[in-house]
Amino acid sequence: MNLAELIKRPPDADTLSLWLQKVPYAVHLGIRAEVHDGDILFILPADRKLVGNPTLPAIHGGVVGAFMEQAGTFYLIARMAALVLPKIINFSLDYLRPARLRDSFAICTLTRQGRQIANVSITAWQDDRTAPVALARAHFLLPDGD
Amino acid sequence: MPPRSDREKERLIEQMCAFIPHCVLQGIRLEKVCGEEVTLRLPYRPELIGNPDTGVIHSGVITVLLDQTLGTAGICCDRVETNITPTLDLRIDHLGVAAAGRDILACAKVYKVTRRVLFVEGFAYCESALQPIARATGSWVQMPELNLDELLRTSQAGVQQQ
Repeated sequence: MNLAELIKRPPDADTLSLWLQKVPYAVHLGIRAEVHDGDILFILPADRKLVGNPTLPAIHGGVVGAFMEQAGTFYLIARMAALVLPKIINFSLDYLRPARLRDSFAICTLTRQGRQIANVSITAWQDDRTAPVALARAHFLLPDGD
Repeated sequence: MPPRSDREKERLIEQMCAFIPHCVLQGIRLEKVCGEEVTLRLPYRPELIGNPDTGVIHSGVITVLLDQTLGTAGICCDRVETNITPTLDLRIDHLGVAAAGRDILACAKVYKVTRRVLFVEGFAYCESALQPIARATGSWVQMPELNLDELLRTSQAGVQQQ
């Protein structure tokens, strides 16, 4: 089954896992997803290959961004009614703290969904959910569905 | 402070790319330095695909390359010392799609320096720099107490042992 067909499945934990397995880069980074009380938690397990600053050590800032972007994309697919693959328009990322070599987590909010454009906010943290390592916003273009 | 030559900048950037595990993993390497402008290259690999139906590289990969390239631009800026500069923020506009199977290049330059902040802009492209696939702006915090040259020298032994 290709990705365009897979997104038509109901977004439970199994489906999210199938989606992530289908994206080579998400597999490469090791991104996982869990569903807790109906909300989706994305996980980037700590891995030395993701390090950008070996002296701290800290995870590469770009990888934190890529993780949040992937989380935002799949969150949007899971939440919207239309069965289309969103296309990212732009991505804005604020780094608040270094992401240490530990597991990172992300949760998303669908801030606004119009007919053609969606705005998703993403928060990433490590040990303490109230002390995020990064905040991001993404705009997505929603291609015309079937 | 005399400006560093392009060759000195290239040497520092090559050392830095070798020092960062994620750059080594992705094969991110120096393409060229031209005055205050740096270009890095990210080779295409199937692991980087974002859409398996089309083979196009994941937009997150472009985020990694642009973060790395804009962050590296500080080394090429003649108005600052080479110090460690953590990213404060980064904004990326996706203007097009990277052609499947092609390397991605990214080019960046510092456009404003203040005592504490570097303002940087850059773009990513595949075939032609005249047709960017993404454009980025961001700011980096200057940490004069953390000298990059010194860090690379003292950590070289440690990296080789790993």
